[in-house]
Amino acid sequence: MGLQTRTRTSLIILVLLLDLSSGRSLQAAPGAPDTRVKLHGTLAIVVNRSNPINNLSFKELRKIFLGERNHWPNGHRIAIAMLDYGQPERQTILRLVYRMQEDQYQDHLLKGMFRGEVFVAPKTLDSPRILRKFIFNAPGGIGYLRATDVDESIKVVRIDGLLPQDKAYALQIDEEAEE
Amino acid sequence: MSPEPVHAIPGKARKSARGTARSFVLPFLSRHVSVVLLLLVLMAEAGVGVFVMRDLFKTYATVQNMYGGSVQGLRGIGEMQYQAQETRRSTLYALTTSDGNLQVEYADQSREADRLVKKGIAEYVAQARGDRQIAVGRRLANDWHTYLRVRDEVLGLILEGSTKEGVELDLTSGVPLFERVRQDLEEMKRLYDEEASQQLAAVAQSSRRSMTKLVAVLGFALLFGSIAIWAIQKSKIRAAVEFAKLQMEFVASVSHGLRTPITAILTAGENVRDGLVRGKHDLFEQGSIITAQASQLMDLVDQVLLFSASAKTSPTHPIQELQISEIIDHALQSTRGLIQQAGFTLHTEIEPDLPPVFADLQLLSQCLQNLIVNAVKYGDRDRWIGVAARLDQSTREIQIDVQDHGFGINQADAAHIFEPFYRSPQVVAERIHGTGLGLSIAKRSAEAFGGRLSVETQAGVGSVFSLHLPVERIEKAKSLSVARIGSEA
Repeated sequence: MGLQTRTRTSLIILVLLLDLSSGRSLQAAPGAPDTRVKLHGTLAIVVNRSNPINNLSFKELRKIFLGERNHWPNGHRIAIAMLDYGQPERQTILRLVYRMQEDQYQDHLLKGMFRGEVFVAPKTLDSPRILRKFIFNAPGGIGYLRATDVDESIKVVRIDGLLPQDKAYALQIDEEAEE
Repeated sequence: MSPEPVHAIPGKARKSARGTARSFVLPFLSRHVSVVLLLLVLMAEAGVGVFVMRDLFKTYATVQNMYGGSVQGLRGIGEMQYQAQETRRSTLYALTTSDGNLQVEYADQSREADRLVKKGIAEYVAQARGDRQIAVGRRLANDWHTYLRVRDEVLGLILEGSTKEGVELDLTSGVPLFERVRQDLEEMKRLYDEEASQQLAAVAQSSRRSMTKLVAVLGFALLFGSIAIWAIQKSKIRAAVEFAKLQMEFVASVSHGLRTPITAILTAGENVRDGLVRGKHDLFEQGSIITAQASQLMDLVDQVLLFSASAKTSPTHPIQELQISEIIDHALQSTRGLIQQAGFTLHTEIEPDLPPVFADLQLLSQCLQNLIVNAVKYGDRDRWIGVAARLDQSTREIQIDVQDHGFGINQADAAHIFEPFYRSPQVVAERIHGTGLGLSIAKRSAEAFGGRLSVETQAGVGSVFSLHLPVERIEKAKSLSVARIGSEA
């Protein structure tokens, strides 16, 4: 009896050690939804806190990113901020919002500026930190960040009434596909 | 003997030989006053010195504060000026590039510099002294806030790609607003300069005040010190003159004392030589005159010798254990003839069980004898003498009183009676012969055993002279004596 108890205890400790070495949280029970992990995989659309817009339809969002809409209702010029090439967030935006590949996007931008349809080229920024500061400093700025990179200095806009933590939120990063 | 008890004289003057030692120096009082004056001058000098030192420390602290405040203030203003320029410079740098990353970095730098300017303004306002500084601090805060609003708009326009509009806004609004900020900072600097100038003037004034105080106190010290030294010298000269006068009087008194009996002896001798003495009765009479006058001469010489001997610090006779009654009896035995011859009534009152005295019988007896002789000499009014001895529990002293109902001593004379050679003008006027040494000899005898003499007297009522012998000292003397005897053995 005693031997069986000691063997069971040793097994539990072994399992726990393996669990720790795998980097998983002990708090999260197996099968339970991990909110942090989920937010890390979603893309938040962010604007300056002075921007009165709180909600955009996906269609409006697409128009803004395609350069078909140039000004916010408060009169500020829309300034799009994109993360640098090859980053998963950028790939997700190109795939889900622009519905283009990188070269198609470049082509679209070039032609749009040539035709005068796009007034200001999107700013390409090196990192989420710089993008966050850009949005903070530019009243007409709009960009995207992983939901976990968002802080109080900027505002998250609902897309079709949904926030990144909502289940049916559209802008999910497909890490495997991007890689 | 009279049944009248020995008692203190009501409403009398009281002097002790130790206390009298103080009054003894009444003629030299001015010297003490001078010394006190000198001490007061020194104390006043020290006091003012402390004030001057305090002023100097205060001035030093003010200078330090002024230096610290000016340096800190100017450094703060310089820092604000630099950071304000940095705020603007970073904004302008953002205008010069189309790189979004650089624009964000410049915006970030501008905001960091702006944060430091705000901090500097808050510190200035918190430390501002006076309405003008507070007003300029608030004005700067307001102007800076207004400029930042424009700066934020310019940055926003730059980041949004509207560089042209950003430049226009900066030129139309940013430049004049920043100029106001710059002027505010210059105004701050000017106020600091003014404040520093005022503080410098205050320090200079304080230094001048300290210097004036120092000069004044040195002047006063010099003046009062000179007065005090002059007074001390003067009192010394006066004391020397008075002592010389006393010596002269003593010589005159002794000469007179010698001349009178010598004259009487000479006259009696001449009478015998010239055959004027006829018969046994006349011869006896002349012989009696010669012996009485010779005895008076002997007494006078004894007094002078005794006074000279009493000046020595240690007793010349052996110290022995003595009963108080024994000392009193010894003194009375030596003076009984004088008392009876003068027709005086003697009253003695000795408290039983008094502790013994360890002293020199001859000296203490001589002390009492002098007091008794004085009582006979000056107690002529009622012809009564009281001798009493008791233990004073409060002072732990054995007190031997010799009281008379004579004409007493007035206040002015009472202060001097223990001085050697002193004879009061009243005594001189009454033609009462004496050397003025009796009481000083008695005083020295008392002090030889750690005792003292005191007097309670009232003019027209009488006097009580008291010999005080402290019990503790007697016991100490005894133990010392025992030790000495032991070592001798």
